Amino acid sequence: MSEARSPGASSPVPPQRRSRRRLLIAGAVAAAALAVGSGTAYFVHDAKDASRDGSAVLGLVLPDLHGQQQALAQWRGKVLVVNFWATWCAPCREEMPEFVAVQARDGPKGVQFVGIAVDDPDKVRTFAQEVKLNYPALIGGYGAIELSKTLGNELAALPFTIVVDRQGRVAHTQLGPLKRATLDGLLARLLPQA
Amino acid sequence: MRSLLPLLAIVFATAHAEGIASLEPKLLPPERAFHLSARALDASTIEARFDVADGYYLYRDKMQFTTDPVPAAKLDLPPGKPKHDAFFGDVETYRGEVVVRVPLAQAAAGKTITLHANSQGCADVGVCYPPNAQQLTLAIPAGGKPGPFVEAGRKGLFQ
Repeated sequence: MSEARSPGASSPVPPQRRSRRRLLIAGAVAAAALAVGSGTAYFVHDAKDASRDGSAVLGLVLPDLHGQQQALAQWRGKVLVVNFWATWCAPCREEMPEFVAVQARDGPKGVQFVGIAVDDPDKVRTFAQEVKLNYPALIGGYGAIELSKTLGNELAALPFTIVVDRQGRVAHTQLGPLKRATLDGLLARLLPQA
Repeated sequence: MRSLLPLLAIVFATAHAEGIASLEPKLLPPERAFHLSARALDASTIEARFDVADGYYLYRDKMQFTTDPVPAAKLDLPPGKPKHDAFFGDVETYRGEVVVRVPLAQAAAGKTITLHANSQGCADVGVCYPPNAQQLTLAIPAGGKPGPFVEAGRKGLFQ
């Protein structure tokens, strides 16, 4: 199912092939449903459809470190990398310097990272200074874990990252560290060619 | 038809489990990764126990136990394994079996005690679970002998 969540993860997919791919996925879902019992088709289907549409992510509004409400919709049209993290999550902290580097490199090309911290503002502020965070750190508090569950983070663990493409579709969801090679591959596919 | 029901139940349960597992096949839900149980050791001591699954660990400084209506006395957590954390400095972690004696402030023979446990841990594959609050209810035996182990029910995240 992780493939279904990020169709075309390996190569650029023109729109006409995307619909064919969708058919293929639908066929695979139908076959799986036949194999294990028709009642399961809804479960698989719901998960896939919910993950393709990025409007739930783009609809989020959360306060930043200055207490200003920030709507993720302001970055619609960019490749948006939304990372749920916390200072109490060591793997989250370890991958963030990479995100800072990629934001600096690809920000001008249309990438926008946004961190949603499942944490207290004070700890976030300290860590943001430490890694010279160059993208918004929004404060979700512990409630942000529940929020991430509605976006597909079924195990409610961190880090959890969602990549939304320029058309507002979820291109990739990642539980656990987002490897630099995966991130670079995604951005090469999702950003306009120079 | 009736004979089909158990089979269907298995099929549905399997399909559901696969739906979740396929997202990240290696990961357990926190209550299975960090399984909590407890028993009354005697009238004034509760033994709490975390069975941490292979590949997972708990943070010692995030582990807390409280009891009611009889409060817990000061407890000593067993030493953990030292681990250096770049942000938090030197911390200690638990793997495998963690047994903690929770002394009650006074004897509670014949009473019902609720044990509240807070814990937080991670998996080696590179994910962490948020702080988890669990509780379980123990009947403290009147005779002073150890009671049976009780499994934790899930109270939910973040009290």
